[in-house]
Formats: sequence, C-alpha cells, structure tokens
Amino acid sequence: MRNTYVQFLVSFVALAAAPFVLSLFHLNLLSEILILAIFALSLNVLVGFTGLVSLGHAAFFGVGAYTAAVVAQNVSADMFVTLGLAVAGSFLLAAVIGMFCIKVSGFYFLMLTLAFSQMIYSFIHQSTNLTGGSNGLSGIPRPEMGSFIFGNPVLIFYLVLAVFFVSYAVLRMIVKSPYGQVLVGIRENETRVKSMGYNTGFYKYSAFILAGIFGGVSGALYTYFNGFIAPSDVYWTMSGTALIMVLVGGAGTMLGPVLGAALIVVLETIVSSYVDQWMLVLGLVFITFVVFFPKGIVGIGQSLYKNAVKKKPVYEKKKSRAA
Amino acid sequence: MKKTWFKLVSVVLVFVMLAACGESAINSSSDADAQGGSGGASGDTVKVGAILPFSGVYASLGKDLSDGMKLYFDSINWEVEGKKIELIEEDTEADPQVALRRVRKLMDQDNIDILTGAVSTAVAYAVRDDVDSNKLPYLASHAGGDDLTRAQRSDYIWRSSFSSWQIGHSMGEWAYKNIGKTMYIAAADYAFGREVSSAFKEAYTAAGGKIVGEVYPPLGNNDYASYLTTISGVKADGVYAFFAGSDAVRFVQQYEQYGLKEKMPLVGSGWLVAEDLRQTIDPAAEGAFASTFWDYNLESKENQEFVKAYEEAYDRRPTIESLEGYDAARIIAETVKSLGGDVSDPDKVVDAMSKVSFTSPRGPIQFDQETHHVIQNMYITETELVDGKTENKVIHTVDQVKDPGQ
Amino acid sequence: MDILGAQLVNGLSYGLLLFIITCGLSLIFGILGVLNLAHGSLYMFGAYIAYSLTATYTQSFWTALIVAPIIVALIALVVERVLLRPTYHLGHLSQVLLTFGLAYVFHDIASFIWGSNVLSITVPTALAGSFAIFGQTFPVYRLAVIAIGLVIAILLWFVQEKTKWGAIIRAGLSDKEMIGGLGVNIKLVFTTVFVIGGLLAGFGGVIAAPVLGIYPSMEFETLILALVVLVIGGLGSISGTLVASILVGLVETFSRFLVPELSMFLVFGLMAVILVAKPNGLLGKQVAHS
Repeated sequence: MRNTYVQFLVSFVALAAAPFVLSLFHLNLLSEILILAIFALSLNVLVGFTGLVSLGHAAFFGVGAYTAAVVAQNVSADMFVTLGLAVAGSFLLAAVIGMFCIKVSGFYFLMLTLAFSQMIYSFIHQSTNLTGGSNGLSGIPRPEMGSFIFGNPVLIFYLVLAVFFVSYAVLRMIVKSPYGQVLVGIRENETRVKSMGYNTGFYKYSAFILAGIFGGVSGALYTYFNGFIAPSDVYWTMSGTALIMVLVGGAGTMLGPVLGAALIVVLETIVSSYVDQWMLVLGLVFITFVVFFPKGIVGIGQSLYKNAVKKKPVYEKKKSRAA
Repeated sequence: MKKTWFKLVSVVLVFVMLAACGESAINSSSDADAQGGSGGASGDTVKVGAILPFSGVYASLGKDLSDGMKLYFDSINWEVEGKKIELIEEDTEADPQVALRRVRKLMDQDNIDILTGAVSTAVAYAVRDDVDSNKLPYLASHAGGDDLTRAQRSDYIWRSSFSSWQIGHSMGEWAYKNIGKTMYIAAADYAFGREVSSAFKEAYTAAGGKIVGEVYPPLGNNDYASYLTTISGVKADGVYAFFAGSDAVRFVQQYEQYGLKEKMPLVGSGWLVAEDLRQTIDPAAEGAFASTFWDYNLESKENQEFVKAYEEAYDRRPTIESLEGYDAARIIAETVKSLGGDVSDPDKVVDAMSKVSFTSPRGPIQFDQETHHVIQNMYITETELVDGKTENKVIHTVDQVKDPGQ
Repeated sequence: MDILGAQLVNGLSYGLLLFIITCGLSLIFGILGVLNLAHGSLYMFGAYIAYSLTATYTQSFWTALIVAPIIVALIALVVERVLLRPTYHLGHLSQVLLTFGLAYVFHDIASFIWGSNVLSITVPTALAGSFAIFGQTFPVYRLAVIAIGLVIAILLWFVQEKTKWGAIIRAGLSDKEMIGGLGVNIKLVFTTVFVIGGLLAGFGGVIAAPVLGIYPSMEFETLILALVVLVIGGLGSISGTLVASILVGLVETFSRFLVPELSMFLVFGLMAVILVAKPNGLLGKQVAHS
C-alpha cells in the first residue's frame, strides 16, 4: 500500500515538472488530456464499475462548464464559488435525471441518458440570453483564488493537475471501498447482489450522482482552461468520445480512462495534421479495440506484463516480495 | 501494484511523446507580453495560418474559402516583396474547442504571423481571447456574429466578410418599399438567425413596416411542413426567411411545395439562394429576393475576371465563400506589401491592414477604423429562371453599408 | 379547424416517414438483439447512392428506388459477414459498440466520396404535383409517403405472422437453441434479417431524401430520431414502432405548430415520460438484453 503512495507522489512530481520540459502547445495538450481524463474517469464509474452504459454524460460536463462560465461572468470568478456552484449544478441535474434513469437498464438506460442530455443540449443551444446559444460564451474571466488569478496556461495547468490528482484519489478510494465492491457486484450480477440484501437502486442512484458530480468538475475545469464554452461540448458526440476513451483505455480500471483520454487527444492532434478523415481513424481504432482488445490499453499492458512474467519467474518472485 | 508501475511508465511515455525541442512553457508564457506574441517572422517567409472547417457540416464552405485564397496567392506566385507566403491550413471541424487547439498549435508550433478564417461564429469567439492576448493579427474571413466587431472587439481582429447586421438591415427598407407593409419572419433558431432577423426587423419597422408574426424553427429542423401550414394561415405581404445550408434547401423547396410561393413572395439573405445551393433547390428558388454582399452575376470588370479565373482553376462556379477567401488573401498580401515584407511587429501589421482598401469583385471595400469591420456595398438580388436554370440578378445596390458598431 | 386537419395530415406523413426509416432498425433489434447504430449510416448510403443514380446514370427515381436499397443491402451483407458474425460471442454490448465505430467510419467514407455539399433528389413527375385538402396545399409526395409507409407495415406484418419465414423468425426470437435443433440454419436467418434491415434502411434513405435532403452528418440526426421512435415503441416490436412513429410524428408536428421553440424538447420529453411509465416502451416485449 505504501508503494502506491510513493508512485502517486512520483507521478505527481513528474507531471508537475511538465511546464519546465514541454512547450506551451504541448502543455496545453496535457491540460486538456487531464481534464478529459477526469471526465472519462467519472463516466467510468457508471460504465466500468456499475455496468451502466451511458451515452449522455456530456450533459454533466456541459452543466458544470456552463454554470462555472455564467457564474464567473455574472457573479464572481472566485474558484471556490464557480467550482462549488458547478458541482452543485451537476449534482442537482444528476439527482433529477438519475431518478428516472436508474429505473431502466441496458439499452433503455443508454437511450434515456441520451434523451436527457439532448434535452439539455437543446436548452443550452436555444437559451441565447443565458448561454449565448450557438455562439457559446466567450471572454470568461480566469478563475481567482482570493487575490490570486490563474492568469496564464502554466498556472491553469497546475490547477488542473491538482484537481486531477484529488479527483483520481477520491474516485480510487471510492471504487476500492466496500461501496465500490457492491457496484462491481451490480455490474456482474445485479439480481444476486439484490438477493444478498443490498438496496441496488440506492447504489446505482448514488453512483449516477457521483459520476455526474465529477463530470461537472471536469466541465468547470474546461471552462477555466479555455475561457470559452460552446454547445458542441454538450452534444452527444462529446458523450460518444468519452465512452470511446473509457472503452479504449480499459473500462473498470482506474488507469484506463486516463490512458484512453491521452491516446485519443494525442492521436487526434497527430492525425488531423495529415488528413481530414479523423472520424474514420477514430472509428477504426475503436473497432479494433472492441474486437481484439476488449480490455483496452490496460488489458494489453497486463497481458504483456504476464507474458514477460512467465518468461522470468525468478524476477517476478522477487518483485512480489518487495511489494 | 503492477497497475501503478504501469501508470508511471505511461506518464513517462506521454512525456516522451510530447516532449518537444522548443522552448518550455514556463519561459514562453512568462515573456509572452514582452516579446509581443508569436512573431517568428524572421527569415524570408510570411506564415499565414487559416482555421477552416474541412470536415463536418460546414466543410463545403471551408473548401471554397480555401480555394478562393489559393486562387489569389497563385495569381501573385505566393510571393510579396520578395517574401514567400506559406499558408498553413488547420481543420476546425466546426468545433470551437478543436479550433482553439489548432490556433494554439499555429501560434506555438508554427509561429504564424497572421491568422485568418473561421466559418462558425462560435469558433471566432472561441479564439478571440487567445488571439488578443498573444497579439496575433487575425483577419476574420467569414464568421459574421455582430459582437466580434462590437463588444468583443480587439485591436488585433479585423473582419473582411460581413456582419449579421449588414445582411439583415440592408433588406429592411427595400422590402418595405417593394414588397409591402406587412411581413412574417421565419428564421433558424440560433444566434446567426436571430441576429439577422432582428436587424431586418429593426430596419423594416423603422421604414414603417409591420411584422405580423415570427417563428423560429430549431437549427437543422428536418421538416418545415408544420411551420408552413402555420404561415399559410397568416395574412402578410411577404415572408422574410433566414436559413442556410440544408435548412435553406428544405425550406425553399417546401415553401413552393406547400403552395406559399404563389401567395407571398419569399425574401431573405443571400444564403437562402446561395450559388452552391441553387442547383439543388432549383426551380423553387425562382422569385426569391435576397440581400447579399456579392453575387456571381455582378457585372463589374473585377468580378468577371475573378469568376473567369476561378472557373478555369476549379471547373465550378465560385460561391460567396470563394470570394471571401480571395479577398482575405488579397488583404493579407496588400498588408505585407505595404510593410515592405516585415511582419515582425503585430501592431504595425494591424495598422497596415486597417489602411488596406481596393475594388474587390464585390465592389469597393475598406475598413471602418472604429469597429475594424469592412465597409461594403450590399446588393438586393432576385432569382430568375434562365433557360430552365435559376440565376440571381442584382436589382438594387445599397452603397457602402457600415455596421453601427453597437 | 382547417388548420388542425392540415397539421394532422402533416403529422401522419412525417410519422410514416419515420416508420419507413426506423422499421429496419426495429426488425434487426427484434431478431438479432443487436442495436445497429450504423443504421443511420446505411440510411445515408441509400440516399447518396440514389442521388448518384438519379444525377448521373439513369435520371430515374424509380430505378434508384430499387437499385440503391439493393446496394445498401450488399453493404449490410458485408458488414454482417465480416464484422458481426465473427463477434456474436462477444455479446450484444460489444456489437452495439462495433456498429457505433462503424458509423464513424462510414461518415468519413461518405464525405470522401460525395463531398459535403447539400444535395437533394428530385421527386418523380408522377408524384411532383400538389393537391388541396382542408384549404391547404399539400405535395402529392407526402401522401405517397403515407401510402408507402402503410404498405411496408402491412408487408412486414404479413411476413412475420403469416409465412413460414415469419414463424422461424418468431421462434428465433424466443428460443435460439431450439430453432437450431429444428435444423434451421440460425446463422443464415441472422444474415438474412440483417440484410433485410439494410435493405429497409436504404429504402428509407431514398424515400426520405426528397423531404429531408442529403447533407453531411444527416445520418446521426436520423439515427437519434430513429432510436427515440424505437425506444418509445418498445424494442423489438414492429407494431410498437409503427404506433410510436405516428405518435412522434403527431407530437412533433403539433408542437411545432403550438410551441415551436419547444419542439425538440417535447419529443425527448415524451420518450422520458413513456420510459418512466412503461420501462419497456409502448408495446415492447420483455426482451432479455445484454
């Protein structure tokens, strides 16, 4: 267990050094990856751990982002206010939508989440006075903390990094807890968990809200990061992208969604400098993973590791003792 | 345990993937102000970045803008004042966040000197702050949202295309005098549609006309039958419609199919009967009146030369977006020329750009020093049937229309 | 009152158009248990191929109406044989995801082949006129859409309920092992059904093109609408799909008439309400899913 903390710390320090190594463009890319990784991690609570495939997660991202934006423009740019209200907004939305959605499962769940998120999208797209409609909201003030302003990309990066590690740690703790084990049980066999006396409805509902809250957090970060938000971030394609990130990275693992987000963003940046057919590439990558690597990047890593271990049993023995 | 090790390795991998040889973010962000933006202008090339949608809903507009630019740059051999012009195009996918990513790439990696493009207004608004704080001269070549040259105005942003206000307002007075005293408004429910129709309303009611009703179908609405049935129950002298792209095709076609064309003339913006849509709409577009800032059939010498050159190069008719690209390229070239090829100082670049004026295929154009928006002629066209095909004909000119800037 | 009658005709026509578009999706789901998210893409191919046929090779809408769906059916055949058949063991969810990835791929293939201009198909002269009821002018084509929709509905009902094929299909739905035991090649049944679904998608694309137009990303808009209809009607029930199509058509038409700004909300709202009240849709059976 101690080793985990060490590794946690090492990765944090490594990432914190990024601004000294990377160019501004690559640093921005890294910020974006971390934000989308939080988003994918939050979706993973539903898809990976509870077994509820949602195609409407962008609704929470959007509500978090728009709440942070509207509050920053009209009330206060203080980070605690904007982030707090963004969390409150996505919590409320998840609490309302969740009541309906957890009553159904399978494809019906997928469709119902899609329906609700498209309703949110229509609302944002049409309320020109509040949300700027199709033009989006621009010129959003940078987040502040007291008199300190996160005024340049490097500061924003550190903010994103800090929130990312907190979110990762919290989510990791939750899914490793007995509560998280019940969620996994629901994914594997809901009837059995129910017969063991668990109120599965409550567990699913709280997982839905949890996912919604962290979706909102990532949305608020996106607003901080870009100073801009548009309805396209609430459209179902955003939900689809997040779903692809989770599945390509490895659903039901903590690392998977992070790697998925990194892969998709990096791939998109590379591919689209050469060809316009980004969707084609994304589709092919996705199909390849679904057919050949259903456990995602993490799955590939694990099987590579296992193969390596088979060949060197001695090494493995030593290592496991050390751990 | 192995997962966390794996994580560590992957973090390192990400670094390796991203690690660039350029200067680190810490440095570039701290002296961004002192240095004055992206000016990697030294050397013998002028780098022009263009953010255009090459995929997604607006892909055809992006292609036309790009072709228009290339036509002009071809005509000057990609060279001004001994400097090579390098055009770097990036696909925005009509998604503002993607566009922002691309603009950052253009600024930080390619060190462009001048930015142009943006079809969707949301994209222009999205990149506005980054362009402004990095002092990157930006010539908006399509996006028409009013605020870009009003509340969102920036020293470094100039617009050569149009504003929603110019499009809608120029039709108001003419419609009152020539169509009638009452009009019904139908416009797509998004910012552009709302801005254009409210500018029309402003001018039309100021002239003395009365709006008897309004309806705003959602953007991308797939069937107008219900709205058209509603409209046919209304008594008005005409219908003012703002739709573009596939919406325009469906609306104009169904307007005829539901028998409204015989009852009330259709009035709108140039996009309702745009050059590339009309071959699809045919012949339902006949009889429509539209306000625009360029038309294929403008009779000026400049326009005929442009049309001829474009058709020879691409074997298809230019659209209004082709013209926008062509003009944007020329404005950039003239700017570089007046600076003697030295584009290293962004303030001098925008200053030089502000003074550019010439007779474009669309007529004389110049920049409003106050708003940074183009001052241009607006034209009223009527769509006619010529040999079984529809053609727009310019029937009225509103000289030198200037956006009020607020 | 006239205007209400006129809107009723609009609603019926729009609803049956939705049925023509959705029935293939419903059929495939009902029998294969695969939610084909590439259905919209097959629909799009139908429309684009019909455009190419009418614009260049034949000029005849009727030829396109027959040839385009057949080409789409061939595409569906390839998809089933190459992508779905080897992956039935992965489970339904994986297959849904496969078709989702496929939709992305098809999107770029279509824009690569046909570009991104807005296109349209001209209505054949026989259906080009208009007629008047309730004091309103209607295009004849809209009436034809109502008729075609009803004919397809009757045909599907007849095949499912009155023919041997239908019996096999219904048996396959309730017990896949038993039907294999009876000596029926279940794989062949699956392939056939998927191809028919593709045929219907292509057919829907051709029929809808003169009304809805052809433009980039058309398939996703259509797919979402089709999914809504499917879910409201109940997964796997053709008659449910028919009822839901007409219901959605009427609700959307009347909401555009009465509360135009809310029309998009209302359709999704309707779906949410129905799912909460009847979690299996209006006429849905208890299908065992994923």
